Amino acid sequence: MNRREFSTLAASAMVLGGSPFRAFADETCQSPYMPKITGTEEFIYVWTLGVEGMGDEQDKLVTIDARPDSSTRGQVINSVSVGGRNEAHHGGFNSDRRYFWTGGLDTNRIFIFDVHSDPSTPKLHKTIDTFVKDSGGVVGPHTFFALPGRMMISGLSNDGDHGGRTALVEYSDEGDYLATYWHPTAEDMQGAEAVGDAVADGFGYDIRALIRKNIMLTSSFTGWSNYMMDFGQMLQDGEAMKRFGNTVVQWDLHTRQPKKVFNVPGAPLEIRFPWGANANYAFTSAALTSKLWLIYEDDGGEWQAKEVADIGNPADIPLPVDISIAADDQTLWVNSFMDGKTRLFDISDPHNPSQIYEKQIGRQVNMVSQSWDGSRVYYTSSLLSQWDKKGEDDEQYLKAYSWDGTELTEDYSVDFYELKLGRAHIMRFGSSALYTS
Amino acid sequence: MALKTALAAMALAAAGAAGWVVLDTRPPSPPAGFAARFPTAEGFEFDPPAPGSYDLLRIKPAPDGELLDIHGNLSRLSDLMRDRITLVSFVYLSCGDIGGCPLAMSVLFDIHEASLGVPGLGDEVQLMTISFDPERDTVEAIGAFAYPISIDRDADRKLPWQVLTAPDQAALQPILDGFGQVVNRSGDQETINHVLRMYLVDRQGQIRNIYGLGLIDPRLLMSDVETLLQEEGTG
Repeated sequence: MNRREFSTLAASAMVLGGSPFRAFADETCQSPYMPKITGTEEFIYVWTLGVEGMGDEQDKLVTIDARPDSSTRGQVINSVSVGGRNEAHHGGFNSDRRYFWTGGLDTNRIFIFDVHSDPSTPKLHKTIDTFVKDSGGVVGPHTFFALPGRMMISGLSNDGDHGGRTALVEYSDEGDYLATYWHPTAEDMQGAEAVGDAVADGFGYDIRALIRKNIMLTSSFTGWSNYMMDFGQMLQDGEAMKRFGNTVVQWDLHTRQPKKVFNVPGAPLEIRFPWGANANYAFTSAALTSKLWLIYEDDGGEWQAKEVADIGNPADIPLPVDISIAADDQTLWVNSFMDGKTRLFDISDPHNPSQIYEKQIGRQVNMVSQSWDGSRVYYTSSLLSQWDKKGEDDEQYLKAYSWDGTELTEDYSVDFYELKLGRAHIMRFGSSALYTS
Repeated sequence: MALKTALAAMALAAAGAAGWVVLDTRPPSPPAGFAARFPTAEGFEFDPPAPGSYDLLRIKPAPDGELLDIHGNLSRLSDLMRDRITLVSFVYLSCGDIGGCPLAMSVLFDIHEASLGVPGLGDEVQLMTISFDPERDTVEAIGAFAYPISIDRDADRKLPWQVLTAPDQAALQPILDGFGQVVNRSGDQETINHVLRMYLVDRQGQIRNIYGLGLIDPRLLMSDVETLLQEEGTG
């Protein structure tokens, strides 16, 4: 019996119909394992840093209503405080998108919110207080990247010297610790190869994967001693400025083993893979050198890294931060914190990106998220509590724009300081459609 | 299994020393590198890692519960999984999405077919399909579905393939929850939304890997199986 005969026989017992979850909005930059919102996002969850002397002073998950027909559209409709300030930073959904994991870079606490029971009103489901102990000394839970049934978390630091040497830490969806994978260093390459003049620094930041190539990439930032230091003070500290990552590491996704270390100087941050079936590359932006980098598979099947564009004028140190790739792989939004600008790059030729648009979003800007169809683009303001600007320049907001292909037009904005919420950091989208149809 | 193999070898050695003529009735061990004998799924653009070159985590215990086979017999899941490494796939028979249940079924079929070329593997590994639609996927329905397997004249030289359903939703739900298989019935009556998942369970009942879209490839799955067999000392 061959496969066709089996299928024919088995089909006699089957009735066609039905589909697995594919509610296929930064919707474009999430783990490919999870269901996507390809329609309109209904809610925007903003992981927000509490500010001393403001409101309840606590970190909180703020929900903003984005439903087109809602009377509360563009307003805060829910807020869940977590009982203190933790240096709220990034977060990500688990692979079935029922829970939103968020981390605190200072206290190392992880907060898991239930977003499926009532997507308009997330509830704190579980708190993990043992991240450092579980992991064997990893500090600063940063990226939460969903794997089937598990969560891969990148650390930023360690509890030894609070520098940048760190690891990836894997937990089950239930919140149980599974494993720690330390980044390769020049002293312990763990079987990885240093490409060209790369020097493995052991630093970490973001995680993204290209499943069909079994590729996982990680980038590198800086440790607790820097990210919790006053930004102006750090810039004057020559030794501190040496403590930034200069590498991207290629891992075997299935075995979690490091394979290659690329030289990507100047703190490469967010990593974004395209969605195309034959698109074998990823972008990352280096914060300190203001360069856009391409990590790509060459004609011989080997992965390489090269810089492909300047972001603004590198001499002005615009400090590129978040990037967001369009679902059609043709454009890339790139934010820069210091000048508060967003720039759009044409990446139709990924080896030769070119800037085609820019707009000032605020006095400072950090995160950018776009809907699956690219017509709605959202921005938030906070980088780190000790790195945000001071005085009037310290704007804290979520701003929603529409994008018609040529111009960003502001739709609504939420002033997080006026509402005494705190500093707005990462955004993720929610929709009841993920759980009801 | 390492213990089982060692005891068998000791018995044989003792018998030989005593001058007895004995037949080695041990089932053949699957040959090393057998994972490479399995086909590659479409769209799968990498060579799976060498079996044994990596570790598989003990993610969590597989849940227990009672399920019905195609003959209507009620068995405990733990009993059904005790003797072999098990690849578990959750489906519902009326799923028509080619990237959903039919994909899982066709990959299991490819593994089933190719296992004919790996003597002894069926003593160590089995396939398991569990319906999450007990109302429609009755004993009769899963029997009809499994008919091609039931009439396969080579079945005893391939991996055992258990097709199971639950007596009712109450019996099914703890199993789904335990594995982490999300199923959503709030839509129309015909469609059951779900996330495509497969699970690898070892003989101690531990879930050792969880697969989603992009990972459901016969060679990769069997690389993990061979890795577990090497861990046991039988691969």
